Amino acid sequence: MMQPQQPYTGQIFHPTQTYTPTTSQPFYGNNFEDEPPLLEELGINFDHIWQKTLTVLHPLKVADGSIMNETDLAGPMVFCLAFGATLLLAGKIQFGYVYGISAIGCLGMFCLLNLMSMTGVSFGCVASVLGYCLLPMILLSSFAVIFSLQGMVGIILTAGIIGWCSFSASKIFISALAMEGQQLLVAYPCALLYGVFALISVF
Amino acid sequence: MAYHSGYGAHGSKHRARAAPDPPPLFDDTSGGYSSQPGGYPAPGADVAFNVNHLLGDPMANVAMAYGSSIASHGKDMVHKELHRFVSVNKLKYFFAVDTAYVAKKLGLLVFPYTHQNWEVQYSRDAPLPPRRDLNAPDLYIPTMAFITYVLLAGIALGIQKRFSPEVLGLCASTALVWVVMEVLALLLGIYLATVRSDLSTFHLLAYSGYKYVGMILSVLTGLLFGSDGYYVALAWTSSALMYFLVRSLRTAALGPDSMGGSAPRQRLQLYLTLGAAAFQPLIIYWLTFHLVR
Repeated sequence: MMQPQQPYTGQIFHPTQTYTPTTSQPFYGNNFEDEPPLLEELGINFDHIWQKTLTVLHPLKVADGSIMNETDLAGPMVFCLAFGATLLLAGKIQFGYVYGISAIGCLGMFCLLNLMSMTGVSFGCVASVLGYCLLPMILLSSFAVIFSLQGMVGIILTAGIIGWCSFSASKIFISALAMEGQQLLVAYPCALLYGVFALISVF
Repeated sequence: MAYHSGYGAHGSKHRARAAPDPPPLFDDTSGGYSSQPGGYPAPGADVAFNVNHLLGDPMANVAMAYGSSIASHGKDMVHKELHRFVSVNKLKYFFAVDTAYVAKKLGLLVFPYTHQNWEVQYSRDAPLPPRRDLNAPDLYIPTMAFITYVLLAGIALGIQKRFSPEVLGLCASTALVWVVMEVLALLLGIYLATVRSDLSTFHLLAYSGYKYVGMILSVLTGLLFGSDGYYVALAWTSSALMYFLVRSLRTAALGPDSMGGSAPRQRLQLYLTLGAAAFQPLIIYWLTFHLVR
């Protein structure tokens, strides 16, 4: 209840000027120049997204276990939408099926990986990995726009792309969760999930 | 008035110094400066993203903090309920598998006649996990086999032009109901025969889930080679599965260190095992014949 002797010069709801933040996060004051860039604030890191995409696209390259440390759902969202868009180009309006199957598949993989690995895994990490590995499936559905996939060539191509997707997904999972001797066991449920996506693309 | 302004000033200074306090619910309009509607650090909102500069409204920050605390509270509640029903550690034992085990076990399910030693190995009274002991049951194979069976049923119906998502759901739930009934019947039998064994519910679930492997093989052969192939595969997988179950359950039901108990009890155990084994071909036929016409 004391009246201040000099007028209060600080800003309301801010710590006083003597407080200097020593943490790594920048001080979000009212200064326009101190604001971090928008993408950094939203957590979208293009370099990491590109690195993860390259890991998916080179199935034989050894994956680095630490790239999955920050779960990033922006990339997978973009890939899901792109998949739905290529299906739309082929005349199949099936966004609902894509989202439903991805949700159920992510939930199933989350339960299975938590039971199979020593360390647990968060749902965001599972969704992120499965979403990134959907990228080759987008190639398949864009083929389906031009050629029909119901011949022998289509079946071989579909099988190859399912194998590619599930191999990359299992590779990232076992390097991130340090599970040894279980790559095929993780790849099989991923193959089932991507097989259902392929069924939507083909039929 | 004096009280209000003094309290306001005191409150703002108090909050200005103690950073971890939640953001106050009122704007302080006392003194010679206008209240700042701009952003301020929201220390209570300890979430992964730092959008405290974008949301200048203190009420929105409070709402965000409340929402995130509700979400984490909900997650904790789900975990607690789940742990009440299912012991996750016991379940993890059944998923501690690796590729070599799965390959050998699948081979054993198709051709069990040359396997010699069927006993489950123990180390200090705890059974070895499936990674180290081929005879230990696991739940990975039954789960994957069940899901593969449902998808294969969808494909088979699609080939026969009888596919629709409702039929797929019907297939899946029929199979699930039969599994549940079989496990319950086995539990009842074990209880009535007072068999002292360490066959928990998960063990029975595992053993009754192994028939899905046989079902998948029968349906695949039926799709590739027609009706004759289906019946041949059905006969082969049924006999292999019966042999496998009888050999596994006889040693599993006896437990690690029992001498077998009295003679009638042993006979009851035998009848139970034989009955369970004989039931398998019937259910395999029932669940697959409509897929292969």
